[in-house]
Amino acid sequence: MTVVCPSGHTSQTTDYCDQCGARVGAGGPGSGADPGATTVLPIVEEVDTSPSIRRDPCPACGATRSGDDRFCEGCGYDFLSPRAVAWDAVVVADRGQFDRLGVSSVAFPVDYAERRFSLVEGENRIGRSRGHAGEDKPEIDLAATPVDPGVSRLHAVLDRRADGGCVLRDVGSTNGTFIGDELTPIPPHTDMPLSDGDRIHVGAWTAITVRLRP
Amino acid sequence: MSPFTVDAYQNEYLTLGGSEVNAIVTVTADGSAGAGRHQPEAAEIVIVDTSGSMDSPARKIKAAREATCVAIGCIRDGVAFAVIAGSDHPRVVYPAGGGLAIASAQTREAAGLAAHRLKAGGGTAIGSWLTRAGELFATAPGRISHAILLTDGENQHETPEQLDAALAQVEGRFQCDCRGVGTDWRVSELRRIASTLLGSVDIIAEPDAMADDFRAAMQGAMGKTTGNVSLRLWIPQGAGVAFVRQVAPTIEDLTGRAVQVNALTADYPTATWGGETRDYHICINVPARDAGEEMLAGRVTLLEGDRSLGQALLRAIWTADEQLCTRISREVAHYTGQAELADCIQEGLEARKQGDPATATFRLGRAVQLAAASGNDGTLKLLEAVVDVEDAPTGTVRLRRDVAIVDEMSLDTRSTATVRVGSGTT
Repeated sequence: MTVVCPSGHTSQTTDYCDQCGARVGAGGPGSGADPGATTVLPIVEEVDTSPSIRRDPCPACGATRSGDDRFCEGCGYDFLSPRAVAWDAVVVADRGQFDRLGVSSVAFPVDYAERRFSLVEGENRIGRSRGHAGEDKPEIDLAATPVDPGVSRLHAVLDRRADGGCVLRDVGSTNGTFIGDELTPIPPHTDMPLSDGDRIHVGAWTAITVRLRP
Repeated sequence: MSPFTVDAYQNEYLTLGGSEVNAIVTVTADGSAGAGRHQPEAAEIVIVDTSGSMDSPARKIKAAREATCVAIGCIRDGVAFAVIAGSDHPRVVYPAGGGLAIASAQTREAAGLAAHRLKAGGGTAIGSWLTRAGELFATAPGRISHAILLTDGENQHETPEQLDAALAQVEGRFQCDCRGVGTDWRVSELRRIASTLLGSVDIIAEPDAMADDFRAAMQGAMGKTTGNVSLRLWIPQGAGVAFVRQVAPTIEDLTGRAVQVNALTADYPTATWGGETRDYHICINVPARDAGEEMLAGRVTLLEGDRSLGQALLRAIWTADEQLCTRISREVAHYTGQAELADCIQEGLEARKQGDPATATFRLGRAVQLAAASGNDGTLKLLEAVVDVEDAPTGTVRLRRDVAIVDEMSLDTRSTATVRVGSGTT
């Protein structure tokens, strides 16, 4: 039996969420639902949209917002009337990262054309489809040749939030996901906020730059 | 009723912005774990130092022979066992022909005869003893494997790297209690071996006491009814484990021993259990939340293999109520003090060795204060052999000028022994 916690995680444990630790329902542990059934608890989500509790960085430039300022100090973005923002993911082969990782079993591609994906609202999966008919392909499908074998079938997710922001989440990839020049991978299943121009590294040489469309 | 009970003691209230969750988790086994099932099979190896130094004085090797015989006598029928004579070339003195013998009246007698023929000679290469023991245990898989190791000297005939490699190879394969006899062995070295192999370490000051010590250690080992027990700790997303340490009966840091199960869950080994109680101090850093919010900061599950034996929940509730969030759990406070006590002793003794009497006096004084306040009389008595206590409550002490090496080593070896909550003045 699984339950859904107030933050929307699916949890195998029914007393507290097995992702974020939030208490699930008022009934507490084992409040007798049908075993095997997925119980969606009636949750009234309290979304407070008042500026003071919105601590997310500026969705446009990523600058930290000070207090409940109306305008972003970085780019003048108006927090109170968010404009529609559109994000692109630009995929290239990155020689620098390839050399940094020192992968010997994979060759750096000779000819790699830049690929551009525009992000849909919600989850954009980064991965490699298997090419089966009727397959649920990831939105950012890196299966086309030249293929980077270090990219997992389902590697990471770019989550375009309703507030305009964009976060990166490794969903249990084999070889990890890196941001910028960091040599340690980001922790799996953890939201990492991104800003315009951030470069993500997956696999042996794949670099994905997220761009805010002007 | 489960043979294991798991309880958590904590103040779950955190001040606003607070992120550190501390809890003491008490695990009690009633020792009946094997009762419902068939008795778990055990394997036991006695490893005795027979290096040349065991001959000076000669009563050391004599005592070792006798202690080995006593240990063999404690081995229950059906237990697989062996005796290893340790030198720079370890030798299995019983049974002949490799593998382990199955204990019976006959095999115990034969092993006793072999033990009586133990002779001192050669060097000390403890890593090779452990490797040999590991090989023998591997011939009887699936048993609760335990060894007792006796040495009288430093590990001189192999490099620290060789010892490290041997330890890494046998870690998790068997549990090993270590005993140092006399004063020519190194506390830190033996402690590291015992810690890695989840066993105890102790000093046997006089050879005559060896037999009694071996009997107690062996009876303890024979009383273990459940093996392969681990503490599984789940933490929420964004949280981190600051430390996990056993705090009673002795302090043993397990933080580095975590075996990651997934991103949020790790297992900490606790080896074998008889009828006993152990306490663990768990400290988790969680992302702070708003007033009134509650979060599960940790879920502790005691596992035997994959079977859950019990669990405890560590919670965090944020509050602006100062009265609630400033209270420190009595258990957490007590064991924080016991951990500081062990640190003070080890740092104080080290400073004393380095010729820094000011630091030594200060640290050992603080140790006296902590030991007295918590009712840790055993440790207090050992401290009194190293310092003159003027006023225990304030920690006023003077370093003794002439301290017997054996007193200093006893204090060092037993510095990690703690007393449980409520043992002090009530």
